[in-house]
Amino acid sequence: MALPSPIPAAATYAIDADGIGVRYNLRFTKKTTFRQSFSGLLQREDGAKEFWALRDVSFRIVHGESLAVIGPNGAGKSTLLQVLAGIILPSAGSVDVRGQVSSLLTLGAGFDLDLTGRDNILLAGAFLGIDSGEMQRRIRGIVEYADIGDFIDAPIKTYSSGMRARLGFAIATSVDPDILLLDEVLATGDATFRAKSKARVLELVRGAKAIVLVTHDMNWVTEYCNRAILLEKGHVIIEGDPAEVVRVHEERSAKAKAERDAAIAAGRPVA
Amino acid sequence: MSATRETPSFNRHSSVRPGPIALIREALAEVGSRRRLIQYLVQADLKKKGSDTFLGNLWWVIDPLLQMLVYVILVSVIFVRSTPDYPLFIFAAILPWKWFTSSIGDGISAVVSQDKLIKQIQFPKIVLPFAATVSGIVNFAFGMIPLAILLILFYRDRISPNLLFILPIASVQFTFTLAIALFVSAVNVFFRDLGNVARHVLRLWFYLSPGLYSLTLLEGSSLLRDHPILQTLATANPFAILFTAYRSVIYGTDAPNLPPMAPDWAALGGLLVLSIILLALTTLVFKRLEPSFAKVL
Repeated sequence: MALPSPIPAAATYAIDADGIGVRYNLRFTKKTTFRQSFSGLLQREDGAKEFWALRDVSFRIVHGESLAVIGPNGAGKSTLLQVLAGIILPSAGSVDVRGQVSSLLTLGAGFDLDLTGRDNILLAGAFLGIDSGEMQRRIRGIVEYADIGDFIDAPIKTYSSGMRARLGFAIATSVDPDILLLDEVLATGDATFRAKSKARVLELVRGAKAIVLVTHDMNWVTEYCNRAILLEKGHVIIEGDPAEVVRVHEERSAKAKAERDAAIAAGRPVA
Repeated sequence: MSATRETPSFNRHSSVRPGPIALIREALAEVGSRRRLIQYLVQADLKKKGSDTFLGNLWWVIDPLLQMLVYVILVSVIFVRSTPDYPLFIFAAILPWKWFTSSIGDGISAVVSQDKLIKQIQFPKIVLPFAATVSGIVNFAFGMIPLAILLILFYRDRISPNLLFILPIASVQFTFTLAIALFVSAVNVFFRDLGNVARHVLRLWFYLSPGLYSLTLLEGSSLLRDHPILQTLATANPFAILFTAYRSVIYGTDAPNLPPMAPDWAALGGLLVLSIILLALTTLVFKRLEPSFAKVL
C-alpha cells in the first residue's frame, strides 16, 4: 500500500493535480430503488454503464494564484472543485492539496433550516473541523459581514434567499483558508453584496491564498484571475492566460452554437 | 491556525484505496477526532425533535405508555390471556424496542438527509449515523420516566437493585444498534426504498421476538419443538436475548412467577461479542461505500 509521500521542502505549489479522472457508474447513480436495479440485472441494457466526468486533468497552482475554471454546462467544472475539496476521490490519477481548504461550494444549501443562524454557524464550523473557541470568536464577524442582525437567533427557514447566501459566503470566507474553492458564488445576493464579496475575494487573493473559482462571468476571469483553464466534456482544452482562454472559450461556444443552429435549421436532431 | 484544526491540512487523494484494517482504524480516528461535531449533531437533533410538536419532548414519555395500553387491550381483552402484571411485562420490551426502531429509522435517513452538505464539504460521513444512534439513547433515557412512574404507582413490590443492570444490557443493545445503523445508512444511499422494507422487517421481527410473550412460551410451541433449527434461531435472536434480559431485571419471570433477578450474563456476553464483530464488518462496509456517497446522492 502506498504511504503518503513526504512533502518535499522545495514544493511551493498549493494544488498539484496529476491526471485526475472521475468515473461515474451509471448503474448506481441512475437507479435508486430495488425494482429498478433488479430490472437492470435481468435485462442488461446496452447503453454506457459508466462515464467519465473528468479525464486526464493535470495542473498545478501555487499560493497567491487565482485560477478560473470555465466551460459550458456539464463540462465537469463542479466535479473538479469537488475533487479538489476531497469530496469526491479521483478514480484515476492523484491530487495533492497543501493547505486548509474551504469549500462551501453552493452557498447556503447545506444549512439546517430548523436551526438558528447561530447554531448553523457553529455546526458549519464543526463540519469544517474548526475549533469551537475559534468559531465562537468568529461569530460576531460573520454576523456583521452577512448583515443579518437579529435574525441570527431565528431559524434559517425565516431567512430570505439573499440572507442565506450572505451567511453562507460569510462562513466560507471567515475560515481564513489557504485554498478557497468557489462555485458560482459571485452571482448571489444583491448588487451591494456582490461588490462586497468581490472585495473579500480580492482580499483573500492578496493574502497569498490560492483560489479556484468556477464562474460564467468572463469579466471577472480576465480582471481578477491570473490563470484559467477551459474544460469541455471533462477534458482540458486550454490552460493559461485568462484573456487567451476566454477568447478560445468564446470562439468555441460561438462555433458550437452556429453548428447547433445549422442542425436545427436542417431539421437534424441536435447532438 | 492549523493547531486549532481537527482536520489534516495536507491532503493527498488518489485512486489507491486503503485495506480493511486501515479503514477501520480510520473510522475510529474519525469518530474520536470529531466528537464535537457529533455532539452538535445530537444537540441539533434533540432540539428539532422537541420543538415541532405541541407537547414536545413529553411525547417520549407518553408514547410508550400509549403503546403499552394498545397491547394490553389487544392481548388481555381480545385474546383473553392473563399474565400477572402484564402491563409491566410488555413495557420491559416496548421501551428497548422503541429505542431500536427509532434509531434504525434515524440511521436510515442519516446520510441521505445531509446530501447537500456531503456534496459541499469533505468530512467523515460516519459521524452522521453515529450521531443518530447516540441521540437515540436520549429517547431510551426518557422512557425510564414512565417506567419509574409505573413501578412506583403500581408495582412497588417489583422494584429491586436489579434495575441497575438495565445499564449494561442497554450498552449491549447500543453496540448492536450502532452496527445495524451504520449498515442501513450506507445502503440507503443506493437503495432509497430501504425505509419501506425496514418498516415491515422490523414489525415482523418484533412479533417473532418474545416481547408480548415470554421466550418459554415460544419454546413450548409445537412448531419449535418439531424443528430444532427454528428453536436455535428463536433463542439466538438478539432481541430474544435482550427482551429476556430487560424483563428479568425489571419484571422477573411469568411462569413460574418470580421476582426480578440478574440477567443471563453468558447470553448477553455472547451477544456483545457478536455485536462487536458485526460493528467491525458494517464499519468496513460503510467505509467502502463512503467514497461513492457524493457521486450518488
